[in-house]
Amino acid sequence: MMKAVSCAYVRASAQALSNSLRATGVAVATRQAHSDLQVPDFTAYRRDSVKDTRRRNETAEERKAFSYLLVGAGAVGGVYAAKGMVNAFVGSMSASADVLAMAKIEIKLADIAEGKSVTFKWRGKPLFIRHRTPAEIETERGVPTSQLRDPETDDQRVVKPQWLVVIGVCTHLGCVPIANAGDFGGYYCPCHGSHYDASGRIRKGPAPLNLEVPTHEFPDETTLVVG
Amino acid sequence: MKVIYNTLFKRTSTYAVAIMASAFFFERAIDVSANMIFDTVNKGKLWKDIKGKYE
Repeated sequence: MMKAVSCAYVRASAQALSNSLRATGVAVATRQAHSDLQVPDFTAYRRDSVKDTRRRNETAEERKAFSYLLVGAGAVGGVYAAKGMVNAFVGSMSASADVLAMAKIEIKLADIAEGKSVTFKWRGKPLFIRHRTPAEIETERGVPTSQLRDPETDDQRVVKPQWLVVIGVCTHLGCVPIANAGDFGGYYCPCHGSHYDASGRIRKGPAPLNLEVPTHEFPDETTLVVG
Repeated sequence: MKVIYNTLFKRTSTYAVAIMASAFFFERAIDVSANMIFDTVNKGKLWKDIKGKYE
């Protein structure tokens, strides 16, 4: 290969020289490369079926099939590894089992007497479960939304009317309100005096929004699942 | 070989499909055999082997 390159270089410079000489009128004989460059012998690299260069090329497909088979086997391994890696990375984004276990809370409703508000810890926050009396339900249903700072009807905030489920964090500055206190018979925040009614709605004081209602459901009559 | 080349390897589309399809079976074979090797090496230590003692 090096020999061929250097020959080409010599040839090119000889050409340039002869051109310049021809311009000055001196005749020069030029060497032609094709007559004295030998075709290299590739016998050592040829497969047995193509050692004889004069034979008809009948085995091309088989030879290509072998090469592609090797490449394909590598690709299959690559696909397997890539799939495993993608699986691992995508799987690492999903919540782990301990997080999922803490994400839900199951509450036995039979333990909560009517008229009582019970506090649970859920996702690091206090969770108020209130067993409302029929009188409280009636009162909250009768409140016109036009009077409310954050207008929501009682039906929008509860799944079952006798059970109120709210997160016990005041929407003003995050204190924990006190149950069964305040001017509206619901919750009262001692920090800055926000009054919430028995539906967890802000009625008086600085808080801008109603107490947050987490997604919850009742799988059967006696259990409540929050989360 | 000739048939495989002409039906699968000649076109890139069929070649890619063949690679994906065989990757599926390859994965299954690798996983099953790896589990089998693990089970034979750890025979007697696994929960499914000692389960009978505690039930």
